[in-house]
Amino acid sequence: MAIFRWGQQTWDPFRDLEREVDQLLASVSLSFQGLRVGRQYPPINVYELENELLLIAELAGAKPDALEVTVAEGVLNIRGRHNGPEGVADDKYRRQERPRGVWQRSLPLPDRILEDRMSAEFTNGVLKIRLPRGAATQARQIQVLDGSTEEAPAPPPSEAT
Amino acid sequence: MSTELTRSPEPPPPPDETGVDPNVVFTPPIDIFETEAGLVLLADLPGVTSETLELQVQDNKLTLFGRVKSPVPPGARVIHQEYGVGHFLRSFILSDEVDHERITAKLTNGVLEVFLPRAPKSQPRRIQVAIE
Repeated sequence: MAIFRWGQQTWDPFRDLEREVDQLLASVSLSFQGLRVGRQYPPINVYELENELLLIAELAGAKPDALEVTVAEGVLNIRGRHNGPEGVADDKYRRQERPRGVWQRSLPLPDRILEDRMSAEFTNGVLKIRLPRGAATQARQIQVLDGSTEEAPAPPPSEAT
Repeated sequence: MSTELTRSPEPPPPPDETGVDPNVVFTPPIDIFETEAGLVLLADLPGVTSETLELQVQDNKLTLFGRVKSPVPPGARVIHQEYGVGHFLRSFILSDEVDHERITAKLTNGVLEVFLPRAPKSQPRRIQVAIE
């Protein structure tokens, strides 16, 4: 009598014989997760709006106060930890697909991001980081001096900042 | 070949209020573990709220369907994508050993927790044999 059935497989958590089978399948699903290690966690999407970039990461199960978002030298770092349910022994699992453990990602920020005005919010398992953009700087002409002359280069024309 | 259209082009699909393609659904990752009282099912449903989650038991099938809303305003341009945004759907067959009437669920930080209590073992019932 199966509690759950996925495809052709049957599970009966209340019988030892099928528990063996289940553990076998659990190891299969673990190796499947192993294949996904190459994929970075959490997955991140970046969107462009008129005045800002929006960075969105799916982080179901994270706790807002345990999320660490830092910016240093143009690199955004996010890190956190997914704890499994407390007090559940490994052999009690019939299925274990959800990510677990410590994760971290570093992303170089594009130019013109106003780092001091960045903000982050975490709602329903979705982390949203706003990256406001500064105004585009004017293209500035750089005078090319003739290096063959011995004269000291003329100071560039003063420019109001 | 004639470029004349013999019929007008199909109208664009009506905009979904969620801003998410309704034809794309994702299978959420789940954990299932056993406790003394029954089974606990955890499913990662980022972006789903209790208002947009449908959890249904029909016959012996438990179905979860979580709608998500696009996290960005319309007109946002994707410049980097590592995951697709879409609704979540997954269903399970329950056995008689789960008490269908007492299933409870809660949603916290995008994680659905469903408690599937073990049905009480039916007591052997004595059947009176009528003596003719």
